[in-house]
Amino acid sequence: MSEAAEHHGRRAGAGRAAKRASRMAAVVSTVPFITRKIPIYEVLNEEGLSLIEHNADTVLEEVGIDFKGDAEALAIWRDAGADVREERVHMPRGLCRQIIQERAPRSYTQHARNPARSVVMGGPHTVFAPAYGPPFVHDLDRGRRYGTIEDFQNFVKLAYMSPWLHHSGGTVCEPVDLPVNKRHFDMIYAHMRYSDKPFMGSVTAPERAADSVEMARLLFGDAWIDPASGKPRTAITSLINANSPLTWDATMLGALKVYARANQANLLTPFILGGAMAPVTVAGSCTVTLAEALAGIAFVQLVAPGAPVILGSFASSMSMKSGAPTFGTPEPAHVLYAMAALARRLGVPFRSGGALCAAKVPDAQAAYESAMTMLPACLAGTNFILHTAGWLEGGLAMGYEKFVMDADQAGMLQTMLNGVDLSENGQAMDAIREVGPGKHFLGCAHTQANFESAFHTSSLADNNSYEQWDAEGRLDMSQRANAQWKRMLNEYEAPPIDPGTDEALRDYMTRRKGAFADSNV
Amino acid sequence: MSDDLDLNSLSDEDLVAQMHDDLYDGLKEEIEAAVHVLLGRKWTPYDILTQALVEGMRIVGVDFRDGILFVPEVLLSANAMKAGMAILRPLLAETGAPKVGKMIIGTVKGDIHDIGKNLVCMMMEGAGFEVINLGINNPVENFLKAIEEHQPDIIGMSALLTTTMPYMKVVIDTLKEKGIRNDYVVLVGGAPLNEAFANAIGADAYCRDAAVAVETAKALLARRQGSVQQRATA
Ligand code: B1M
Repeated sequence: MSEAAEHHGRRAGAGRAAKRASRMAAVVSTVPFITRKIPIYEVLNEEGLSLIEHNADTVLEEVGIDFKGDAEALAIWRDAGADVREERVHMPRGLCRQIIQERAPRSYTQHARNPARSVVMGGPHTVFAPAYGPPFVHDLDRGRRYGTIEDFQNFVKLAYMSPWLHHSGGTVCEPVDLPVNKRHFDMIYAHMRYSDKPFMGSVTAPERAADSVEMARLLFGDAWIDPASGKPRTAITSLINANSPLTWDATMLGALKVYARANQANLLTPFILGGAMAPVTVAGSCTVTLAEALAGIAFVQLVAPGAPVILGSFASSMSMKSGAPTFGTPEPAHVLYAMAALARRLGVPFRSGGALCAAKVPDAQAAYESAMTMLPACLAGTNFILHTAGWLEGGLAMGYEKFVMDADQAGMLQTMLNGVDLSENGQAMDAIREVGPGKHFLGCAHTQANFESAFHTSSLADNNSYEQWDAEGRLDMSQRANAQWKRMLNEYEAPPIDPGTDEALRDYMTRRKGAFADSNV
Repeated sequence: MSDDLDLNSLSDEDLVAQMHDDLYDGLKEEIEAAVHVLLGRKWTPYDILTQALVEGMRIVGVDFRDGILFVPEVLLSANAMKAGMAILRPLLAETGAPKVGKMIIGTVKGDIHDIGKNLVCMMMEGAGFEVINLGINNPVENFLKAIEEHQPDIIGMSALLTTTMPYMKVVIDTLKEKGIRNDYVVLVGGAPLNEAFANAIGADAYCRDAAVAVETAKALLARRQGSVQQRATA
């Protein structure tokens, strides 16, 4: 090692204090989103994929899709050449695909208020986002309880601080302490104020979607309109779930139209509990998913040609003994691989996956099941991986410990997706020549130059001796995670925001909240 | 299977045992036929209900709970039970036998989740309850209309969203305003609810799953019928 020290010589600002400071700060060099450099894994060949495409078109033409409670939607479909019978829309074979391929962007940029954190959805890129929707939160100290706005802000802060989450997500937990008809203001504001990563908007009513767009406009100020296109920049991606089987309902369609017309992105997800909302087979689930997605995405393109979209697929199996959703099972992983391939063939970005599990606490079940979906999601070439961190109990709870454990794994996966370095440095021929037979590589120049970033190191795994682990209190992973999230929240510093913008956002919320009475219905 | 079996040739005891098996196997037509045979033998509708049907479904319930039977099988069993009940219900009413009970149930306004509610319907029908399924996205008016039309014993509500759960309170408060809240047992369910929430909105009980819904419905109706009787004799 003395050799190496000689190579470097003595430099200003070096020594123990400087190194301790830099290593303890644990600043990880990271990227705003992943660009995959490993091949995509597919489970179906050309014949299999075109069979499902054919079947999905048969469903669209023969069985049809319900567009419920939205007369405008039915009129739009009629004008586009579909056969509309009451609320059921029958699309001629190939119509949806044609509309989508003529109009939908293959990828799009979702702008963050900090331009360095804008993400590209689509192509060879992958974006990790936190879990979405849980009414409960869970941590080791307080157990399971309804989420509050404080929990919501905490998860926004944790996602902001995690180098492996590229996106702030949407309903990171439900702030049950706020009135139903006004909580979207505080949720959107939390994403805008406590993070500078991209986020998702409200979908539970069209006027809440409109508030989300208006707040984004205030946040972006002069940068809202893209001079090149004259349209608003895409600053929001929102989750629009199909009411499977084969139904799009008025609530979701209402929000969808607001976003599409403002050039904001719609993430259209058929959410399938196999056996209940689709047939129990992989091919059957894929067929229903594709048919619903084709109808939903084509509808966006009819409403607003060129508006950004993502094809989502959330498939879970079901316990046929109780009806409960089950996760981490192999069949939904096959659906995921197949749907990713089908989205690529259609030419739109793809969302799926997540650290999904049915476990109540961050235990071995949680870890196994989560890994069994995250790995396929990454290998399949998924572009947007919602639910990457925090998911417990089939989405009923957001776990603090689970959140940081999942984020840690997301770091591993990011490194995996980065692929193999075949540069001169990656080949390391100089190291092999320098060391030769019978010695070790720890001191050679190549190792000295690369050791810090050579291996992705987990911030939570314990690799020490039994004795050391024993002496340090015999902590398991979830206990170490407990310490980590608390430390992160302690160290959190909000990203700076222009005071005028902040004031405008607050004004808007105060005004809008004052315009109608609190209501929980 | 009872395909080649002449039900008429069976003794009462064997026929009832056969009905338990047929319910277990979800054989609707076979159950209908057997109910007619027993009626022909002058069994009271009440005895057919309790000894043949309810007992058969009790066995189904045990094996469902123990993870031996699958949901799609129980669905068929419940349908067979329902078919048997359809024959017996008018006769039961005529003879003034104690009612098993009638429930209206729906997912509340703004909410379209219905898988769990449909399982509840299935299990309740399996237990002999008459179930009026109001479907999804029900405003309070739908509940009121159904109450008037069907005169149920139980009002069931399901919600899966924290944004729609509070609507259950709207329904209960409306019943209170109309002075009819205490005429009905109100049961609520859905994954994001809990016991404390059910208490806070003034429901009679929170049911964490379909089997608990059946048990709770039975227990509360029994208590209620008990109290009606008590009042009558006091
Ligand atoms: C007597 O009365 C009784 C008695 C007992 C009763 C009862 C009534 N009702 C139920 N029970 C009880 O008995 C049943 C049987 O044992 C049990 O019923 P359960 O329903 O609990 O159990 C079923 C057998 C299986 N479970 C389920 O069917 C629900 C599973 C989850 C994953 C779920 C599903 C499947 C769906 N969803 Co929704 N969905 C989730 C759910 C998360 C979860 N793990 O629960 C939840 C509830 N959804 C959520 C969300 C956000 C949404 N969903 C939406 C849509 C959907 C689908 C359409 C895709 C689909 C429903 C399809 C359908 N036909 O029902 C949207 C809302 C649509 C709307 N307007 O309602 C949307 C807003 C998503 C979006 N952005 O589009 C979340 C809740 C949000 C919140 N904060 O409250 C959620 C926790 C998932 C999540 N993390 O996002 C008991 O609860």
